[in-house]
Amino acid sequence: MRDFEAYNPITQFFYFAAVLIIGMFSVNPVILGLSLFGACALLFFGKVRISKGNCLFFVAMSLLPILLNPLFDHHGDTILFVLNDNPVTLEAVLYGIASGVMILASLLWLKAFSAVMTSDRLLYLFSAVSPKLALLLSMTLRYIPLFAAQTGKVQAAQKAIGLYKEDNVIDGVKGGARVFSVMVTWALENGIITADSMEARGYGIGRRTSFAIYRFRKKDVIFLLFSAVLFGLSLYAVITGGYQFDYYPTVGTVSASPVSVIGFVAFGLLSILPSAILLFEDIRWKYYQSKI
Amino acid sequence: MEILSVENLSFSYAGASSPALSDVSFSVKEGDFVAVIGATGSGKTTFLRMLKRELQPLGALTGRILYQGQELSTLSPRDSAMKIGYVMQRPEQQIVTDRVWHELAFGLENLGMPQEQIRRRVAEMASYFGIEGWFLKNVSELSGGQKQLLNLASVMVMKPDILLLDEPTAQLDPIAARDFLETVAALNRDLSLTVIIIEHRLEEVIPVAHKILALKDGRVFAAGEAHETVKKLREVPEMLVGLPAAVRISAALSKSCCPVGMRVSAAPEENSCPITVREGREWIRSRFGNQVKALPVAPDRFAEADNAVEVKDLYFRYTRDGRDVLNGLSFAVRTGEIFCLLGGNGSGKSTALSVLSGIRRAYAGSVKIFGKKLQEYKNQSLYKECVALLPQDVQTVFLRNSVREELEDAGIVLPDKRQANGRSSLSDLPFDLTGLLDRHPYDLSGGQQQLVALAKVLAGKPKLLLLDEPTKGLDADTKARFLSYLKALQKSGMTLVVVTHDTEFAAEAADRCALLFRGETISTAEPRAFFSGNSFYTTAANRIAQGYYDLAASVNDVVELCRANHPAQNPAQNLTPKTVQNADLKSAGETPEARV
Repeated sequence: MRDFEAYNPITQFFYFAAVLIIGMFSVNPVILGLSLFGACALLFFGKVRISKGNCLFFVAMSLLPILLNPLFDHHGDTILFVLNDNPVTLEAVLYGIASGVMILASLLWLKAFSAVMTSDRLLYLFSAVSPKLALLLSMTLRYIPLFAAQTGKVQAAQKAIGLYKEDNVIDGVKGGARVFSVMVTWALENGIITADSMEARGYGIGRRTSFAIYRFRKKDVIFLLFSAVLFGLSLYAVITGGYQFDYYPTVGTVSASPVSVIGFVAFGLLSILPSAILLFEDIRWKYYQSKI
Repeated sequence: MEILSVENLSFSYAGASSPALSDVSFSVKEGDFVAVIGATGSGKTTFLRMLKRELQPLGALTGRILYQGQELSTLSPRDSAMKIGYVMQRPEQQIVTDRVWHELAFGLENLGMPQEQIRRRVAEMASYFGIEGWFLKNVSELSGGQKQLLNLASVMVMKPDILLLDEPTAQLDPIAARDFLETVAALNRDLSLTVIIIEHRLEEVIPVAHKILALKDGRVFAAGEAHETVKKLREVPEMLVGLPAAVRISAALSKSCCPVGMRVSAAPEENSCPITVREGREWIRSRFGNQVKALPVAPDRFAEADNAVEVKDLYFRYTRDGRDVLNGLSFAVRTGEIFCLLGGNGSGKSTALSVLSGIRRAYAGSVKIFGKKLQEYKNQSLYKECVALLPQDVQTVFLRNSVREELEDAGIVLPDKRQANGRSSLSDLPFDLTGLLDRHPYDLSGGQQQLVALAKVLAGKPKLLLLDEPTKGLDADTKARFLSYLKALQKSGMTLVVVTHDTEFAAEAADRCALLFRGETISTAEPRAFFSGNSFYTTAANRIAQGYYDLAASVNDVVELCRANHPAQNPAQNLTPKTVQNADLKSAGETPEARV
């Protein structure tokens, strides 16, 4: 993911927003396929690790509409069989599958998004909107691990001097409540030191600027331009009905009008754009290495 | 030119009856390195905060503080924030933001500096302080030493003229503390930065200081050029305890209160005052022989005692893929002794203690406490009249809003209630807390917090007391008193295991010391033998005596050895009859006047 991480967070944010907007509001099987393929490719070339828990969650979420839609939606002309006096139609099954794929693809895109957008990148985005809010968030992110670590220390200290008299739930809850109450005092007490440290470094003497380590480089401009054009073409296809696809009353066919084809190509390129960069940089690096 | 001068400064906190500072006058030249010393409560921190306008506490102030000839209060907010930098004691709480780079930029952001300038300054500072390697990190991943270095760098990034430091190394281990102080000294030396520092580690600070300001009860006790001031302070017992080992040795040997015959001969350099280890070595070698190489070894008092703690082949790691923090750790502590575990950062000292106290469980090996396996103490019975742990951060012991509630909670009978049936009472403690009962535990000084926490920990009447870094952040005087309390507890039959970085403390407190390295004990011995066996990881006193005397660990040991080697103790050497007579009189416990 390194080569894609090197872009400015604004570029990255725009890209993910564009892909998700198109991918999430279309049930056209071509778009769904491209979106799913693009997300998988990015996760694969970006070497993003997906934990078992993540995997289970993704599968469960996408199975949900596949199983539920045919049971509750009885539109469609092609009846496969009748369940409890309710017809289960082919159209409803296919629509369920399309929704499942759409959810899976969206989740995978979000996974890639969270792998790229670390907390400081998100803060940078926030600071573009409101610098004050961004500072507050940064301080909160600083405080959470500090608070958690101190709570752990207090728990251990109290255990070792016998706060929890017996091994039972009631003593556990009682002890926990007291630890929490003292942690509030601790947080206030330490807040004073932090406030001193801020004031000593001139906080509040005038208008602040907001510093970020991210630069907006030439490659950001190029990337943004590319993705904006592709996003625009896709959006045009959405608006003019190029991505139109009917499931009810009978499953339709994929349109092959010029608008549709241009739309498909545009979205296809958009969804593989970061993976292509990763792959290209990989190859280029290998080439350089072989020259050395 | 004088960069800062304080004229007749007096200050009382709002609502306080007595002044915290009275009539303090002091001036600092550009490029000075000033060490501010004094006991707890002498007004050091108040004085330093007076010099930083943003941090001045509420109260009545008289006198003047001038920065480059200009009244501090008339400085623009921008200049005041920029020109005078302040680093506080606790590394954690001073950090404002969540990323290292953002923290470095924070002060410059406040000044409203443009992006490109901030980028340049931050980059320069990160390079100078060696922060580049962890520039992008989250601050919660840093070590204590790195955090404090970050605090220093994020003050230095504003290019201050004066740097004020309030016990910046109190929460650091010795290695990190030395690195930090060396960085400060380099800033002073290379950039001619004016430094005013409050510090307990005088061993490291005094040799680099140009000036010393000693405060006592809010007044200037002594001030001036470093060497001269040390010489003055040497004569005052209460100031002496905190001074470097070489100074204390020379003071003990040349003080007028010691027997006349043992006084150092009236050579022209009698008044000379060694400060560093090197000077201390020369000072001793030029005055004392080394016919008596070592003091007689005291018999081992605990040779016959049963083991209170028996640790065998202990293995522990924090995560499945992590390294073994305890790596086959084995040692035994005998009932009634004070056992010190020493070792560098990450050697597993604190982890060992948390396994001993049952907070964490080892994945292999056995721990026996008083002959019974740790796992067999069921239902929290380990913590009932058996084991107690005084943690490193004593604030974690407190749960209530006053010391009184804190102690009542722990089941300690307070003096105003009479129903001491078997429960521990405040008067059983070797120290007095009655004056602190109505204070909030967080408002106490570090030393006082330590004692209240100790009282609370002792309420469970433990037979085995575990202490994690008990001397961290304490000044020399408080430390000495704390040591005497531990000795009193030992006398009452308690076994103590102390984890510490503090070699001076271990040399005086321990019956036996053990060195931990990468999770196993490397050497275990009685402190004199232990420290004499080490060349680097040892006390300053031992480094002074090394190669000349054997088995000397503490300042007292060295002083005893010097006395044993003094001509007065050795009849073979030519002495005037008078001094011999006087020495004899003293040793017989009589005063010359009584004879007459």
